[in-house]
Amino acid sequence: MRSFSFAVRDTVRLIRRSPGISGLTFLTVLVVFFFVGCSFLLALNTRHVISVVEGELVVQAYLQPKADLGGLAKKVEKMPHVTGVRPISPEQALELLKARLGNQSAAVTLLGENPLPASLEVRVDKASSVSGIARELVAMPEVEDVVYAGKVAEKLARLSRFAEVFSLFLLVFAGLAGALVLYNTIRVAIYSRKQEIEVMLLVGAMPGFVALPFVLLGLFWGLTGTIAASAVLGVLYKSFVASVQNTLPFIQLVDSPQLYLKLALVLIGGGISLSWLCSWVAVEKHIAEAMKPS
Amino acid sequence: MEIRMAGVTKTFGEDITALEDVFLNVPKGDFVYLVGPTGSGKTTLLRILNRELLPTRGQVFVGEYNLRKLRRTRVCQYRRAVGMVFQDYRLLEDRTALENVAFVLEAVGASRKEAIDRAGEVLDCVGMWRRRFLYPRELSGGEQQRVSIARSIANDPLLLLCDEPTGNLDPQTAGEIMQLLLSINASGTTLIMATHNRYLVDAYRQRVVELKMGRIVRDQERGRYEVDEEL
Repeated sequence: MRSFSFAVRDTVRLIRRSPGISGLTFLTVLVVFFFVGCSFLLALNTRHVISVVEGELVVQAYLQPKADLGGLAKKVEKMPHVTGVRPISPEQALELLKARLGNQSAAVTLLGENPLPASLEVRVDKASSVSGIARELVAMPEVEDVVYAGKVAEKLARLSRFAEVFSLFLLVFAGLAGALVLYNTIRVAIYSRKQEIEVMLLVGAMPGFVALPFVLLGLFWGLTGTIAASAVLGVLYKSFVASVQNTLPFIQLVDSPQLYLKLALVLIGGGISLSWLCSWVAVEKHIAEAMKPS
Repeated sequence: MEIRMAGVTKTFGEDITALEDVFLNVPKGDFVYLVGPTGSGKTTLLRILNRELLPTRGQVFVGEYNLRKLRRTRVCQYRRAVGMVFQDYRLLEDRTALENVAFVLEAVGASRKEAIDRAGEVLDCVGMWRRRFLYPRELSGGEQQRVSIARSIANDPLLLLCDEPTGNLDPQTAGEIMQLLLSINASGTTLIMATHNRYLVDAYRQRVVELKMGRIVRDQERGRYEVDEEL
């Protein structure tokens, strides 16, 4: 407890003693985590757009004339990766056809008896699941034929995989860049107190005691910088979403209170963890070097 | 604290031998001057005793501690029992004299109040109580050295290592510092002092260990700075 109160006082002293470095570090953390947040939003929106397109993909299963439409719909609904099933009776199919033909719908009467089969419109969770679902459907005895956009689904699946890898890479890269900046900033702070650390170690201070103020300093910078980054990013993203909705209404960006909460949690949580890790590694490395007898 | 050095050699790089085959025993409570020309190995010997350097060969025991085989936590324990006075004082410029002494006490686990009280006491011992709120830049060389000594004795060390503690001081201040070190030694602290100050060594006769080219060439009880012709 004594060590902790000393460390807190020492941390405050360090912040006060060099307001220039403290301010610059705060700005650096803010900017770095602003870009981490941008990467997070970019990744999130890329995946959102792709999942919206994937959600539009349907597998159309045409049934045998005497198949039980309702029963089969329930059965298909329980299949994995299926997000929705819409049963279409022959009568509904005819109505849909008429609607599609518009003012030429009268031509349908030439058909006489309704020749259209009952069908199921099956929606799946992601593009990569489409082929598997189609195969399972076609294997069912009640299903006569299956129609789906195989090539589009394949391309979309590839795009989705790429987006996943890309967003992961982007986040890891942004996180690493942030860690590197934090690590070096804390090293500068440590360097500016090199003599003090040496004297403390020479008089027998425990390494943990010497390290604590720097770890607290790192946490302080990480916390304040990421809170500010979350606030700035939140405000800018909200206005960006509003302007996109006005100019390009067909693009749907993610925008919900949960998103802002998630963004703040990711940035602040990431900032605290990274700053703790970086400051601990930086100061521990310095202490190990200082304590190593030559 | 008793010191036992056996066959200690310290080399830097391949061809610089700072200490060579040093055997030295210092009983608990002894006062030893380390004398010799610049580069003779005095500071290296003190730094080995402070565990800043490891000997290339040989064994060093200080009290219960084998300095070759100390783990990190044991190094901290050991250093709490050893005080070191540096020639260049090594005071922290942004702290007052009182804070310079108090912070080392806090660093070894004292509460803020305990540290301030004890720092005041030791600064009083070295005659610096009235100047306790001054920063190092506002103190003279002798005053800074006194603060440095106060810092090193604040923990009640069992061994005090002094590297040229009077190196930058006028004779009168050096004499005052010497009186202070003798009183610390009189309280039972083993004291090793590296010095070039011929006047002090001759005026306050104690055991003299002379080093030349890293070797002990003289070890004399109540010796003079140079070989005592009377003996």
